[in-house]
Amino acid sequence: MATFNAHRQDIFRLKPSPEIAPITFPFGFGASGVHEVCETQHGDLPALFGFSLAASARRRGVILHVQQSTLGIEHGDILTAGAEGFQSQANSVLSVFTRKGTDALWAIEEGIKSAAVGLVIAEIVDCDFTASRRLVLASSRYGVPVILLMPYMREGTTAATARWRVRPRLSANNQFDPRGLGAARWHAVLERSRQAPHFAGRRFDLEWNDETLSLTMAPKLAAHQTEARADKPSGRSDPGQLLRYG
Amino acid sequence: MLVETGAHGLCVASANKAAQAIGLTEGLAFTDAKARAPHLHHQDIDRAADAKALEALAKWLIRFAPLVALDGRNGIMLETTGCDHLYGGEAAMVADVSRILSREQIPHRMGLASTQVAASAVARGASGRVLPIGCEKDGLADLQISALRVSNEAETLLRRFGLNRIGQLYDIDRKALARRFQSKSNADAVLLKLDQALGYRCDPIKPLRPAPAKRVELKCLEPIATGGAIEIGLETLTIQLCKDLKSFGQGARHFTLTAYRSDGTLASIEVSAARPVNMPSHIVQLFSERIDQIDPGFGIDLLTLEARRTGPMDESAVALSGDLAAQDTDIVALSALADRVAAKLGEGAVQVTAFQESHRPDLAEQKRPFEGDIPKQLSSNPQAGPRPLRLLRQPERVQVLAEVPEGPPLRFVWRRVARKVAKADGPERIAPEWWTYTAPPPSAAPQEDAPRKWLTPKFDPRADAALIAKTRTEFEQMQTAETVRNLPRARDYYRVEDDEGRRYWVFREGLYNDGRGGAPDWYVHGLFA
Repeated sequence: MATFNAHRQDIFRLKPSPEIAPITFPFGFGASGVHEVCETQHGDLPALFGFSLAASARRRGVILHVQQSTLGIEHGDILTAGAEGFQSQANSVLSVFTRKGTDALWAIEEGIKSAAVGLVIAEIVDCDFTASRRLVLASSRYGVPVILLMPYMREGTTAATARWRVRPRLSANNQFDPRGLGAARWHAVLERSRQAPHFAGRRFDLEWNDETLSLTMAPKLAAHQTEARADKPSGRSDPGQLLRYG
Repeated sequence: MLVETGAHGLCVASANKAAQAIGLTEGLAFTDAKARAPHLHHQDIDRAADAKALEALAKWLIRFAPLVALDGRNGIMLETTGCDHLYGGEAAMVADVSRILSREQIPHRMGLASTQVAASAVARGASGRVLPIGCEKDGLADLQISALRVSNEAETLLRRFGLNRIGQLYDIDRKALARRFQSKSNADAVLLKLDQALGYRCDPIKPLRPAPAKRVELKCLEPIATGGAIEIGLETLTIQLCKDLKSFGQGARHFTLTAYRSDGTLASIEVSAARPVNMPSHIVQLFSERIDQIDPGFGIDLLTLEARRTGPMDESAVALSGDLAAQDTDIVALSALADRVAAKLGEGAVQVTAFQESHRPDLAEQKRPFEGDIPKQLSSNPQAGPRPLRLLRQPERVQVLAEVPEGPPLRFVWRRVARKVAKADGPERIAPEWWTYTAPPPSAAPQEDAPRKWLTPKFDPRADAALIAKTRTEFEQMQTAETVRNLPRARDYYRVEDDEGRRYWVFREGLYNDGRGGAPDWYVHGLFA
């Protein structure tokens, strides 16, 4: 026993140190905890949904999709053929449609506890502090990440791990067709984060890469349309030039 | 006395004992009845309420035997095979049922025999008699023919021949008997009833509810009247039922809990599962959402639990961890989740996407209730263009400024907001499925203000030739106007992005000058991420 006590310290030293998740984008989005994703303006919900699928593209298992019926009428239903471009698991989605918000929250919690789903994506109109705390506790206990897609009115306190505010951006340039659409791009603002509070207010310009199934940070230059460099003012009296300066 | 309107005016529908004593029977004209007894009290019969009450009583009688059927307007048939020994034999069962019906103040006549018609005849002709198997012939011989319940016409005819007892029919040559009837159907009906009564022809029972695959029951010594007691009863029953199911390696997808109240009424609740289950805790959990729908009333003296839609269980071993599992999806756990959600939020709340071969994106994927598996996607069409992430439930019409004939929109107004298109690509043409198309019927009634169409005028050669020529040219011009064919139109889908970066899936329904209507309309059908 004495020998054991003597070596006890060494034994415990052999244990690997607890792994600390690197505090970088996406801050555990779609991997752990409850993340709220809110619209910037009304009508951004499809963009939020695409962003959520893209940021959790490598998650395995069935996706539980809970939708409050008002949002379904407004923003349409999932089309698997379209969702497959973002998620390898897009064809195994179990959808739950509810009318009331409380039923939706109940369904989310049941989904977390069921040990049958790998990710919960819910579209709900509102979620108070108590409900979000409940979801966070359940999510951390059962290890199922939750993404709440919420309308633009969503403000105020929350117990969620993070709150994002997302809007779509002009798509990337299409190298085959200059007038056509390119890869999808989003502008995401990390409004609150319990994991990395000092990152709050950080903005991310993201672009979807459908070949590697990953999100990349779009460089500022690429994120904006390139504009022609203004000429230096010279003595020419060209009305077009003058207009551009004005 | 109760009356109803028959083919020849008011007639007697039902009469009490006092009325029957003076010869007022069912089917008698009301005027005749009134002539025989001028002070007769009468009232209209309410057949619908009677039928409802009879059905309620029949359902309540399921507590004695699982197969219960309605027998005409005033009878109930119980299939007692395999049930009578639980009550100590056939006679004891009849006595038991009779005692309970008497307790509920329900007047009744009962009979028991090995065929339906014989049992019905015994009940109507010699109440309380129990005919052992094989003794139908002797048992029925002394009963009135009316007990067979043949049509009034046939009964009258038989009575005229002097045939009053069922036994008299046995010895008559069947052909001779058939020949005496004018109509063949009447003769056949009498012979059929006779054969069915004696067991020569089959007479299957048509139960009110299909027989459950498994059924367990719990008799309460004292009527129970609290929700907690019902829950305890449910748990006991579920454990017993699951033990039965497990011994056959089976599970069930539909469970019915029925509570028989001591006042002769019942309440039942049902739950369904997406896959066969035989785990008691899961079934109890499904019922727990609805158990408060059972009102105990004055007390419940019998609880039954029935299992339907049984099927073999998937007995494969569960993987020790998610990493070792053959597939990502634990379908059993997923079904359990779907069952719980459906039990609380209602059937149809849990849905999956079902795929089918179709070019049209709204038909290729459709939601259907979860049935225990997630449908596999069909091989996707490699030539199909990009599809939106969200598809609107109905295409929404938009006002568009677009290049004619085949350009994408430059501006459009959707949901009362003008949107300027920054980028666009397309079109992807999705043709209608002509093989599934059926043209709507042409509108029958012409509208009030529609221009009237004249028949081809007939010209009289003696009239003014110039006028004829003028009218003819006008008429021909009218005829050559483009005909509009009532056919579905092709859709040209464009992917457009507005200057805020929102991406839409818009389509133009039809082409310009395709002869299938006027200028084509534009719609928004989907939204990209």
